[in-house]
Amino acid sequence: MILIDKNTKIVVQGATGKMGSTHTKRMLDYGSKIVAGVTPGKGGTKIHGVPVFDSVKEAVDETGATCSVIFVPPYFSLDAGYEALDAGIELIVLITEGVPPLDTAKLVAAVKAKGARLVGPNCPGVITPGESLVGILPGNIFKPGPVGMISRSGTLTYEIALALSEAGHGQSTCVGVGGDPVKGMGYQELLTLFENDKSTEVIVLIGEIGGTAEEEAAEFVKKNVSKPVVGFIAGITAPPGKRMGHAGAIISGGKGTADSKIAAFKENGMRVALTPSEVAQMVAEARGQVAKA
Amino acid sequence: MNLYEYEAKKVFQDGGITVPPSVRITRPEELAKVHFGYPLVLKCQVLTGGRGKAGGVKFPKDLEEGKKIAADLLKLEIKGSKTESLLAEPMLKIRQEVYMAVTLDRERGCPIYIASAEGGIEIESSDSVVTMPIPHPFHPYVARNLAGKLGFKGAEFVKIADVAARLYMLFEKYDLDLAEINPLIITEGGEVLAGDGKITVNDDALGRQKAFAGQLEKHLVDLPERERRAKLAGLNLVELEGNIGILCNGAGLTMATMDMVKKFGGRPGNFLDAGGGSDQAKTLEALELVHDNPDCDVILLNILGGITACDEVAGALVEFMKRHPERSMVVRLRGNNQDIAEKMLAESGLKLHPDLDEAVQEAVKIAEAKSKTPVSA
Repeated sequence: MILIDKNTKIVVQGATGKMGSTHTKRMLDYGSKIVAGVTPGKGGTKIHGVPVFDSVKEAVDETGATCSVIFVPPYFSLDAGYEALDAGIELIVLITEGVPPLDTAKLVAAVKAKGARLVGPNCPGVITPGESLVGILPGNIFKPGPVGMISRSGTLTYEIALALSEAGHGQSTCVGVGGDPVKGMGYQELLTLFENDKSTEVIVLIGEIGGTAEEEAAEFVKKNVSKPVVGFIAGITAPPGKRMGHAGAIISGGKGTADSKIAAFKENGMRVALTPSEVAQMVAEARGQVAKA
Repeated sequence: MNLYEYEAKKVFQDGGITVPPSVRITRPEELAKVHFGYPLVLKCQVLTGGRGKAGGVKFPKDLEEGKKIAADLLKLEIKGSKTESLLAEPMLKIRQEVYMAVTLDRERGCPIYIASAEGGIEIESSDSVVTMPIPHPFHPYVARNLAGKLGFKGAEFVKIADVAARLYMLFEKYDLDLAEINPLIITEGGEVLAGDGKITVNDDALGRQKAFAGQLEKHLVDLPERERRAKLAGLNLVELEGNIGILCNGAGLTMATMDMVKKFGGRPGNFLDAGGGSDQAKTLEALELVHDNPDCDVILLNILGGITACDEVAGALVEFMKRHPERSMVVRLRGNNQDIAEKMLAESGLKLHPDLDEAVQEAVKIAEAKSKTPVSA
């Protein structure tokens, strides 16, 4: 497992808002160690039995939290991210969709300067099945096991996790890196973590059209990853020049096509699946098992 | 949101970048207002590129010819983009044309200058392009470094660096995806001004950019009608050429479902991502949008309820089937509150397909049968 486990102490920024409250409850129900909520002006109250603080600094001082999950509205996300960094948070998971990319770029620069980690924005979060859930992923779909997942998508990750879990391939950790063009952790950083993680046997990389991160990841896999990697790309049928839902999912100037990414996967020795059920079959092959029908 | 050239030039001017004098007209007679001499440059205001090649830029030699040309240009449609108005400017005595843009570099995760000392052309085809990442916080020395890298000296170095610094400041101030000047003109007299410009405002930032408040609808004029409807309803729709209507939640899942339709021999008719957490009303509007495509033979709905609750989707489906009982549907619905949804749908006679491969194959089969059935007289 990478990034989070059952001992990770988590603070929820925006815990008393509608979305923050709903998912604080779900994370608690899953067993995540939520130790604090933060909402300015609500310090001293409780949400689902968790103490709420006015600032991340107070929350960290009182509870020793090292991870923050952010549910604040888009235009407050940069401020919330800076606040988490300044309080010494090591891992920020920014769920919020619609953060202006220049704000993200500023946060990414600050995260790098501080040596911290950022997942997101516009992401479903991180889950280490059976241990901890940080974000909005539906916990019941995921099962503990040896497959590490990295994905730019939310629901497509659930779809593939469902196919894997039903075929008996549990997951070590799943990381939704988010669908925005500018974001925190990328493929290469996470591939390195999974490569060095003893509990991960196979890595599933779920990409989509737009940008060249998958092509670069494929070259990185060939040079630096010894574990089998199964790739999946969404958007084979996407027309050029159109933004496909995610801010980052666009083929522009002939770059970012599914064909180019799939070709890069194949050239660099990765397996390529074309449907979620094929991902499960290829993971079975990679694990030296016969795929279930 | 893409701005028209005349709007982009207003933004440049606000930021202290010099632009040529100009008059914007919506009727040929208004050319009489032109206060600078002929010949003129008369340019179609459209939300697309390649305007010059498509005949959208003309050079009338006097008012009489100008009116005739203006009447034609106002009717011109370029690559599906309607001419909104015309911009009249004087002909400049050009010594050099420069390309200069600021945009976000997604792989580096920061803003970047893209520039060339040979502007006025399609920049993709030029090998003189210079790129330079812009660190945060911005300092003007980065703009000076750019001017130096482009090879400028003396007074021109100072002027080009000044424009570059101002262009970045506008990029940050207005949350732009793209701020492009092409060409940035250096006149024979040594003046530096923005000859043409393109600005794209980031859609996610429109809510905090008061200067562009309420302007989105006007700038969606070139979108197909249903795509515009979807955008205003907060849904993501892209029209495609096939006959299988697709409705999913989440961009990745929607694309993957489209791809599976193709893999199993079908043709996707649209991309529609209803987003996370859509309620009954929004899901119903999404269904109507897919339904309204005249080429649609069957709707394939694939929802995996994480934030989205299946019973909200089922509620929308029940209402939709009441309105359109004739519509062929293949429904795959899994996740939160799936059991409640199944009960609701059983009453309305809709069968659920829990297996994704099977659901997609079923939709392809129905679409194939329908497209073979001759339309009865």
